[in-house]
Amino acid sequence: MTPPATAAPAMSPNAVPQDSQANVDILSVITRGTSWPWFALLGLALLGVGQAMATLAYQTYVGLGVAGYQAPVFWAVYIVLFVFWIGIGHAGTLISAILFLFRARWRNAINRSAEAMTVFAVLTAALFPLIHIGRLWKFYFLIPYPNQRGLWVNFKSPLVWDVFAVNTYMTISIVFFFVGLIPDFAIARDRTTGVRKFVYTILALGWQGKSSQWKAHNRTVLHLSGLATPLVLSVHSVISWDFAMSIVPGWHTTIFAPYFVAGAVFGGFAMVLVVMIPVRRIYGLEEYITDYHLENMSRFILLTSLICGYAYAMEYSIAWYSGVEFEQTSFWLRAFGPYWFSTWCMIIFNAVLPQLLWFKKLRTNVPFLFVLCVFINIGMWFERYVIIITSLSREYIPAAWGLYIPSMAELSILAGSFCWFSMFFLLFLKGGPIIAIYEIKELIIHEKAHGGAH
Amino acid sequence: MPTLVSVFDRPGDVVTVLTKLKKRGFDDIETYTPAPFPEIDDALDAKPSLVRVFTLIGCLTGVVTGFAMEIWMSLDWPIKIAGKAFVSLPAYVVIGFELTILFGGLLTFVGMLLTGGLYPKFTLDKHYSPRFSAEEFGVVVSCGERDVTEVDALLRAQSAKEVTLVE
Repeated sequence: MTPPATAAPAMSPNAVPQDSQANVDILSVITRGTSWPWFALLGLALLGVGQAMATLAYQTYVGLGVAGYQAPVFWAVYIVLFVFWIGIGHAGTLISAILFLFRARWRNAINRSAEAMTVFAVLTAALFPLIHIGRLWKFYFLIPYPNQRGLWVNFKSPLVWDVFAVNTYMTISIVFFFVGLIPDFAIARDRTTGVRKFVYTILALGWQGKSSQWKAHNRTVLHLSGLATPLVLSVHSVISWDFAMSIVPGWHTTIFAPYFVAGAVFGGFAMVLVVMIPVRRIYGLEEYITDYHLENMSRFILLTSLICGYAYAMEYSIAWYSGVEFEQTSFWLRAFGPYWFSTWCMIIFNAVLPQLLWFKKLRTNVPFLFVLCVFINIGMWFERYVIIITSLSREYIPAAWGLYIPSMAELSILAGSFCWFSMFFLLFLKGGPIIAIYEIKELIIHEKAHGGAH
Repeated sequence: MPTLVSVFDRPGDVVTVLTKLKKRGFDDIETYTPAPFPEIDDALDAKPSLVRVFTLIGCLTGVVTGFAMEIWMSLDWPIKIAGKAFVSLPAYVVIGFELTILFGGLLTFVGMLLTGGLYPKFTLDKHYSPRFSAEEFGVVVSCGERDVTEVDALLRAQSAKEVTLVE
């Protein structure tokens, strides 16, 4: 019997005769030398985080007075930021879970970066309830734990629902993100050396693309998508109930849950574009994140903008139609009261400007998309500002009305939150594959196998 | 036991070769693929993954834990809030739901680690190669000494790029 063997040099480890172009291109983001602009940006982000931490230390020492909280406004910029950042996260879950269930193939190029954004945005958002309560060391009062006073939390309160919703969302987003990264960590493990290889070896969990591993992985991704889809819808609904369950004029409406969810997806998609457009340009990933992806995203933005616009119109029309004087006054003051500026920013940036996306010329114009998305993010920030501040400052009795102006401390922490988010994203650029390589490869291999010149 | 390591380019070929090998009774097969191809996984083992059992158990545990916790804690220290009953199930749905997802998701993850045999490993399979995390497919078949020729022919007939006999 003759052994049918050819010589076996190709089987030696670390010899990859023809590496996949996708591996080379995407891993180059990690492995190529780190440039000074990256360090400059990271330094800037760390500086921003540092000054915010100093502010937080000062605020914790002096008290929440420095945060501009005064009667009747005791929910302000920190809550605005909490809702804003949670909302940003929603786009990632939508792309990775809901579009997965719908088998929308175009999501493959953007889902990783969107999921990363989700995790970082939720990590940012999760800080705000703590910053907002002022007495940081008492945050654990929110959690039901056995204590000698025999006290339990009030499960009828939407604020307690919120604790559970946000923590679940954070946990599941991180798990989902990590599960998706495992096969890509294995790719990176096979192509790096030294400390990097060591870290990736641990993170890859012995992944070798075995059939049994893929089978478990596919199932897990499917089930996590199935669980994350209702979860993401519930999280922003629960957050909207923080407001809607009260009797404050302007908050107490049933449209809040769908309105918040649509707004979250809208703002999140805009943030994905704001982050991805520069990244794909700088790292030359245009071949993977193509104009087609950007156009699809902008269609989503257009759709959700329409839903937001509808919700704005509906809020006003119901306030008018209800005949309740407090509601009517509240909404009149939104548009023409002391906070008219934020209200018109919100309406113009979120409902009017995105209508330009009806034109294909503009949808495919990348610089225009980038600028538009920046405006949308500003508009979405103002949306939460309008909802929270105008309603609280103008409740029932005019004698109890007040005027709230954001304080320096709040602006410092506002800047810090963007830096905190950017810091995570910059670190991730250098630490994990920014595009899901194995999902891209699935498409490439299918294309190769079914004719089609690659 | 002789082992044949073969390399393929197309997932379709791998499926065909696996089906043929299984039909001939060669069961000691391992595949290494660069991307998920459910058709390959099914050709090798048609049983659905056990992860679904973990998800189910996690979700059921979660929903029971959520409601049980809320009901017990509300009764353990009863306070009338807004004139509602001590146990107000509609208000408890939210946390019941969130814990369903939380436990379900975490147990799904645990299920993946267990059924996929995933934990940090510093030595990989002997026949694994970084080629299989590029764009090539590896099919590794162990068979009896006298079957080597047959398996080899089978692999090559299905356009295997390379077939290597190890030991």
